[in-house]
Amino acid sequence: MNRLATALRAEVFIARYSLGARLVVLAPLLLACAQLLIVALGDANTAAQQTLIGEETVATNGYGNWVDSLVTGFTALGLLITGYSAHSFAADRELGALRHRLIRLSSRTQIVIVKLLLLHLLALASLLLLILGSWLLSTALWELGPVIEDGYELISEGEILDEIHLGLRLAVFPLPAAIAFGVLLSVVAQSAMQSLSLALGLTLAFDVFKTSLGDMAGYVYARFQPSLIDVSYLGDVARLARGYSDVLIDERLLVLNLWSPLPAFLLCLGLSLFVVRTKNL
Amino acid sequence: MNAQPQALNVISLAGVSKRYGNVDVLRDLDLTVQRGAIHGLVGLNGSGKTTTLECILGLQQVHSGSASILGFEPRHLYRAEGDVVAVFDTPSLHANLTVRQTLSHAAHLIPAQKKPSASGVQPPRSVNEVMSLLGLSRYASFKIRSLSLGNRRRASIAHALLGNPKLVLLDEPFNGLDAGGVDEVLALIKTLNRDFGTSFLLSSHQLPYLQSVCSHLSILHDGHIVASGSLDELLQGSDAKLIVRTPDIARAQALLEKLDGILSVVSDTGSLTVTLATAKPAAVNQALVSVGIPVDELVHVRASVESLFRELTSASTDKSNSRAIAS
Repeated sequence: MNRLATALRAEVFIARYSLGARLVVLAPLLLACAQLLIVALGDANTAAQQTLIGEETVATNGYGNWVDSLVTGFTALGLLITGYSAHSFAADRELGALRHRLIRLSSRTQIVIVKLLLLHLLALASLLLLILGSWLLSTALWELGPVIEDGYELISEGEILDEIHLGLRLAVFPLPAAIAFGVLLSVVAQSAMQSLSLALGLTLAFDVFKTSLGDMAGYVYARFQPSLIDVSYLGDVARLARGYSDVLIDERLLVLNLWSPLPAFLLCLGLSLFVVRTKNL
Repeated sequence: MNAQPQALNVISLAGVSKRYGNVDVLRDLDLTVQRGAIHGLVGLNGSGKTTTLECILGLQQVHSGSASILGFEPRHLYRAEGDVVAVFDTPSLHANLTVRQTLSHAAHLIPAQKKPSASGVQPPRSVNEVMSLLGLSRYASFKIRSLSLGNRRRASIAHALLGNPKLVLLDEPFNGLDAGGVDEVLALIKTLNRDFGTSFLLSSHQLPYLQSVCSHLSILHDGHIVASGSLDELLQGSDAKLIVRTPDIARAQALLEKLDGILSVVSDTGSLTVTLATAKPAAVNQALVSVGIPVDELVHVRASVESLFRELTSASTDKSNSRAIAS
């Protein structure tokens, strides 16, 4: 256990100076904030036009925009963490840094476990920053509250927050599987460039073809990640927060969203540990 | 296994074989490195030196044979708690870190059991101590990528020395170093060996450097060890030569061929090459002068690792060629 903690500290030390790790932690927040600012500028422009033509301006409920920015942040995080996971082990092997850890400190299994732990820590830090930072900016730019139409409260703030909470949970669940998938490619590939290209290529290819796969797509964890061609529940929540009351989650998809990432995670982890035992490092 | 030899040897390889595809890189390789020795592993390019080191370090799987490093199997080398370290041919350091950060990172790789709080364990060296030892203090804030190859190699060695290792494996440690750098590394190896009892296994093809620092030597050729032992033992078995320049070549050759303790006398343009067995150069000189043969020049060519290496590797290659022809 001591050895694992020491190895994790050593990994964190390197990550502190790594551009890739900084990108994983900060880029989702920066993209989400950029999106919020662009929308706010658009809103200000519309309000100015309405004032000029004498129309009454209607304040926007910020929850919709906030959730949109979360979808953007999660999309970026999904791609970045998959790419960084795929790069991590292979790059260390190419550099030779892995050898020092293997000789001095950790077994091959521990090296993979420590990589996974570090990647989860980075994803967690990124998520916390994304949620907190985008929420703070949203509250600064708009009012957050219930959906009201013609004086009636269509959807209460509590209901919106419950759905956002569910959407966030469902978006977070596939992340460990995405990390394990990246690590597996990193362990198997011959070079960092090969594993990075494979990881991003396969992730984007699945994104493009997932709608063609129909129900089968539900068995792949990536179906539930917010993405460029987004079909995640978090994307639906943004519509709900804008007053669309037709947003309902399919029970079957909910179950698949909760359970399909786990076997994918375990499979990728198991294969990584198996391959790393015999890999020339 | 007998406990005594295990305690004496820091590395024991027995019958190790390694194959890449259909090519046998190591064939039934036996190698022992004694505790406190500076052991050189020499061989031609592609003879399997780096593969041998990688097998010792558990970085490559061997196909057969057994290995023990400080009593640990190569794949469990991490259990030696940093007592075994390696410096590779290419400095494997993170390019975007400064020298100080690189060494601080190396300090993170030292297991907690080895840190100063643990009693009875020699504490690791501090980052400043190692930088000063390797002459890296003025480069402390330089990024690794901006260092010259020589200084990167120094940083690699510093990286390895932080935890006070008992055994250091160096793969081609002199590559990329200027003459001053080589002298510094040689002096450092000698100091660490003398003052701290650190054992070394150096793989290199730069034979004169190895001869100046090693106490023991193994010659690797064609995937197996063709000679191994202390430097003195190995060189004793190798023949010393004497080059004699004289205007009376024919008489001198006839005389020396009859003299005791001489293996062979070969005539060249204006000189004789005399291979000595037990005869001393002074005795050869006296024999010539006493019969009135003038000696213009007498050069004693001592046995060197280089000549031994050439002798053994060419003999081995000849045998291999003969085998190939016979089959």
